[in-house]
Order: sequence, then structure tokens, then C-alpha cells
Amino acid sequence: MKGSSPRPFQVFLTEAGGFSLFVSRFFGNAFHRRFEWREFIRQSVQNGNGSLPLVAVTAFIMGLVLTVQSRPTLARFGAESMLPAMVAISMVREIVPVITALICAGKIASGMSAELGSMKVTEQIDAMEVSGTNPFRYLAVTRIWSTTLMVPLLVILADGIAIWASWVGMNMKEPVSWQLFQRQVFDSLALGDVLPALIKSIFFGFVVGAMGCFKGFTTAKGTEGVGRSAHNAVVYSSLLIFIIDLLAVQITDLMGLN
Amino acid sequence: MASPATPATAPQPREKVLSLRGLELAFGDNRVLRGFDLDLYRGENVMVLGKSGSGKSVLIKCIVRLLMPTGGSIEVLGQDVLALGQEELDHLRVKVGFLFQSSALYDSMTVEENLRFPLRRHWLATSAGEADGLVEEMLGAVGLAHTRKLYPSELSGGMKRRIALARTLILKPEIVLYDEPTTGLDPITGKEIVELILKLQRTYGTSSIIISHDLHVARLAANRIALLHEGRKYAEGTYDEFRASQDPLIQKFFIFM
Ligand SMILES: Nc1ncnc2c1ncn2[C@@H]1O[C@H](COP(=O)(O)OP(=O)(O)OP(=O)(O)O)[C@@H](O)[C@H]1O
Ligand SMILES: [Mg+2]
Repeated sequence: MKGSSPRPFQVFLTEAGGFSLFVSRFFGNAFHRRFEWREFIRQSVQNGNGSLPLVAVTAFIMGLVLTVQSRPTLARFGAESMLPAMVAISMVREIVPVITALICAGKIASGMSAELGSMKVTEQIDAMEVSGTNPFRYLAVTRIWSTTLMVPLLVILADGIAIWASWVGMNMKEPVSWQLFQRQVFDSLALGDVLPALIKSIFFGFVVGAMGCFKGFTTAKGTEGVGRSAHNAVVYSSLLIFIIDLLAVQITDLMGLN
Repeated sequence: MASPATPATAPQPREKVLSLRGLELAFGDNRVLRGFDLDLYRGENVMVLGKSGSGKSVLIKCIVRLLMPTGGSIEVLGQDVLALGQEELDHLRVKVGFLFQSSALYDSMTVEENLRFPLRRHWLATSAGEADGLVEEMLGAVGLAHTRKLYPSELSGGMKRRIALARTLILKPEIVLYDEPTTGLDPITGKEIVELILKLQRTYGTSSIIISHDLHVARLAANRIALLHEGRKYAEGTYDEFRASQDPLIQKFFIFM
């Protein structure tokens, strides 16, 4: 590459500024009366279906592994009966939302930015624009709303799978009835565990869609640009997911929900 | 030679539908347009000629405000394009068809969905049956009725161009901006496209700006030719005037056409 590459701090500022503008543009258009329902539904179905298998398998393995691995430690403290509660709380509050969001960042955000990026470089977005359809509303607003909805739904589903997997893990050592296990889990889970996790997932979903679309819409000319955008969409949205996670734990702590 | 297609003579009291004044556009240090003027009258075809990279595509992108010029004025159908709000701009864009040099078909949609896409904004005005009829009519006009269910990736370059043409014309725009409609096509298909452009001009009184290097277009379709050189309008005239010109730059273009 010729020329001096811009310094990381400059890159950070430009990207952050661009992303903030993009997000405010989203809110400027998000509640427009002419909402593209068909595209929204198509995106939701596609994104939900596309990520479901991976999310489900990961949640199952996480639930099972955490259960099997935690048992000896808890047994050493004579707290083996706490196992269902401990696994359920750590799954629902932290592991499932973050892992699901990261999977979606890898699958949905990269896919979106690659799709929109190649539409950009082949002038399809321009073509939409000149046919009198606002491409931002048609492509970005629908996609961002769809991930904002689908990621929390996937999280709820994955919570269920992880808890069931934990029961499977319990049974590997000694049989436990599903009824008993279920009661232990639901007795331990408070609204203060479930609600913050869900709200956090909504933000995760928003970030996945917004970053995917932002990187797609700002793709530089050429196929190389498409690849780089997809890559950056994954890296930046994963990073934002962790930052939101960090903020969320501070906020719930301040509210006395921890 | 009996030529089946000749440009329709523009109707007499000439109504100006598009006017560019002192158009300027720069990308950084690259001053692509440096004060370009052009008028287009109703029912007329103007061909824009220019070397590769001279800014022809950029020029017509300014007209639909895909690019924002850095100076000058653009008036289309009596409206100041550069001052329009988003809603009015979208309204105007429906009346101005744009054929992309790259075809720019939506590759996640079938041919039929591509053609229906511009109709969406008029969904309430056009019933499903009418939309169907329009799609059929346009596909027939470009001779590709059998490709309805295909995806753009299943079409050849020339077929893509014809579908893009059908998509551009489906809203029966008053003005059409063609970016190299015949480039890369075989001479027969090229000529068919020229005839389609002419038919449109005659039937609907469409006015067009046609960017092209094609002799067929110059001879058969263009009422007037404008030569873009170094960001300005270097010369303007009819095909015959250009043919007869002694100017070395103009001659160069006609030698290679
Ligand atoms: N988006 C852009 N950003 C920066 N420079 C651009 C952009 N689009 C075009 N240019 C520059 O503007 C100039 C004119 O480009 P344009 O595409 O209008 O050429 P053209 O006359 O259509 O050429 P061709 O006949 O090859 O299609 C070129 O120098 C090109 O590098
Ligand atoms: Mg061009």
C-alpha cells in the first residue's frame, strides 16, 4: 500500500463518528409511516433461521459442559444441591446472551455487511435510490429492527435449551427428575436475573444489525472492500457487545439487581 | 438504404425539460466537471460523447442527485434539483429513468421482482393485475419474456442490460438517462435497443440523454450530439455536422466509431 496509513486513534474517531451518525439516521427513519413490513419479515425469518442451529447447538453444549464441570467444585463445598441454580443463573444472566450475540455478530453482521457492501459496489443501492425507494429505509431500517427483535428471541430459546442441557448433564451422574430440576431452576431465577439479560440482548441485537448495515453502506469500492467490511463488522460488533455487557453489569449493580 | 428508424423530429414550440448550467464536480483534486452546460427539449434525444473517464457517468448521476455537484445548477421538469427535499426528489426521480452502465440489477431478486421493484411506490395506484401486465409488456419489449423467473446471475451481460432497460422504462419516465445502453452488446441486439429507444421516443414523447460510443446510436437515435471534453461541452451539433467537422478532436471520435 502506498501512502501513510492513518493512525489507529484517527481510525477509531472516524469510525465512531460515522457509526453515531448512522445510528442517529436510523432513529430519524425508524418510525417512518412507510415501514417496509415485507422486507422486515423476510429479514427476520432469514436471520432467525440462519442462526438458530448454531445458537441451539452452542447453548446445548454450554449448558451441559458447565454443569458437568461445576459439579466437582460444588461437591467439594458440599453444595451440590446448588448446581441447577448456579448453572441456570450463570447461563441466563451472562453466558447465553453474550454467546448468542457473538454468534449473531459472526453470522448476521458479517452477512449483512457483505450483502449490502456488494450491493453498494455494484450500484444496486444507487439503483434503488433513483427508483424513488429510500434504500436506507428499505435495507437498513428493516434489518436493524429485525436483529433487534430476533437476537432476544434467540436468547430466550437458547436459555431454554441450555437449561434442558444442564438437566441432561445432571443425569449423566445420577438420575434427577425433570420436575424437581425445573422447580429448583425456577425457584432460583428471579425477575432481576431474567429482565436485565433480556434488555441487554435487545441492545446486542441492535448493535449486530446496526454495525452490519453501517459497514455495508460505507463499503469502499471494490470486492476487497466487501471482504474488509464484513471482517470489520464482526470485530466491531463483538467489541461493542462486550462494552454493552460491561455497562449493563454496572447499571444492574447500581440498581441493586446483582 | 431504407432506414427503418430515424429520430423523430422534435415538436416545434420547444419545451425545455432539462437544463444544466455551469455544472462543476470535483473528487478531491480531480476536477471532473468544470462548468458543463446542456439543454434537453421535450421529445428529443441528446447523445453525450466523451473519452473514457471524462465524466459522462458522473454527469448523469448529478442529474438524479446520486452525486452532489460542487457548483452550478440543474433544472429538471421545471424543478431545481439541487434544492429539492427528499420527498419531492423521490417524486421527481420516478419521472426520470436511469439506466446504469453496470446494469445494477438486484441480484437477490428474480427478473420479475426486479421489474416490480420500481412499481412498489405506486403499489396502491397499480393493482396486482396491472403490475403483471406492465411486467409482461416490458419483458416482451426487450424480448426476454422467458427469463421471468430467472435470477440475474443466470443471465448473460447483454440480457442483463436489456432487463435493466426494461426496469428503467417500466414507469414510463418522461426523461431517460441512458449510460452506454449498447456497449458490450452484439450489433444486432445493439440495434434492437436503439430501435426500442426510438419507439419509446415516438410513442411516449420521452426525452433522453444517451451516453454512448456507438455509431448506431449517433446515426439513428441522436437528434443532437454533445462532446464532453475536459469537464466542459467542447462541441454540440447534429450527427451530420459532427461528421463534416474539421475539428481534430471530433474527427478522432468518428474515426474510431
Ligand atoms: N465515486 C467516485 N469517487 C471518486 N472519483 C470518482 C468517482 N466516480 C468517478 N470518479 C472519477 O471521475 C472521473 C469520471 O468518471 P466517469 O465514471 O464519469 O467516467 P466516464 O466518462 O463515464 O467513463 P467510461 O466511458 O469509462 O464509463 C474518473 O476520473 C473517475 O476516476
Ligand atoms: Mg461511464
